[in-house]
Amino acid sequence: MPDLPELNPVVHGRLRLALLSLLSGVEGAEFTWLRAKTEATDGNLGAQLLKLEEAGYVAVEKKFVLRKPQTLYRITKSGRHALTEYVQALKQLLGPAIDG
Amino acid sequence: MQDHTTEQELKDRLSLIESMIAEGRRKTEGWGWTFVLWGVAYYLAMAWSAWGHGVWAWPVTMSIAAIVTVVVSFSKTGNHPETTLGRAIGSIWIALGISMFLLFLALGLSGRLTDQHLFLALVSAILGMANGASALILRWKVQFACAVGWWVTAVATCFGTAAQSLMVFLVAIFLCQIVFGIYGMIADARERNRRGLVHA
Repeated sequence: MPDLPELNPVVHGRLRLALLSLLSGVEGAEFTWLRAKTEATDGNLGAQLLKLEEAGYVAVEKKFVLRKPQTLYRITKSGRHALTEYVQALKQLLGPAIDG
Repeated sequence: MQDHTTEQELKDRLSLIESMIAEGRRKTEGWGWTFVLWGVAYYLAMAWSAWGHGVWAWPVTMSIAAIVTVVVSFSKTGNHPETTLGRAIGSIWIALGISMFLLFLALGLSGRLTDQHLFLALVSAILGMANGASALILRWKVQFACAVGWWVTAVATCFGTAAQSLMVFLVAIFLCQIVFGIYGMIADARERNRRGLVHA
């Protein structure tokens, strides 16, 4: 029997997975946009984004637009790679059940 | 299967990934209000112009609409992520705004904006071009229908009496700006309601 893959625990968290998936489809996104899409609280969202940043999966850019501070999040190359590997592992784990 | 992860949980993760990626690539992104705003602005400018203040009606109304668009857009920036698609669509509308502003300001100041048929046909053709380009990029049939509506209007306003060409233009504004804008807003609201909560 072949070895089943392990799921990356950093990516596996539901909110972190949602964030990586959201960021994979855009060039960059504001904290407020991510909050609106996930409907997470500021504290929870900030904590999960920090974990992704510490893992090197998300890059943060702070800037000012019309004198207002803006925090822009982007998925990194390793973040995209981790998400792709996670999806492949999921599909492998689910096997034939994937269409069920 | 991993010890503490059920098959259903794994399937949920897959569908979460799909829905979130789709969310980041949504088409409408709440821009329907701008179509409604500009549709109403055209009506106001025309009504003001007909009331006897032709020189100021268009530049003042269009400038106010442009300022409102810029201010509201900046206040909503956090709700719009950066995407190549978004930048492409945004570029079309910014270029349209600059082109129309410069062209009609110059025509107005030089006193050559005297033919109503030509004015309506020009506005319609430019709006048809912008809607058509946006619809082709987004592969959005409803917006392409709006573009066709504007192109038909551009041709139709060249013929008939001044009153007839004006009537055609008013109908086009109603259908291709106001109705289309409301449709975009409803589609956006429906999409928002369809999405579920995401918890850690």
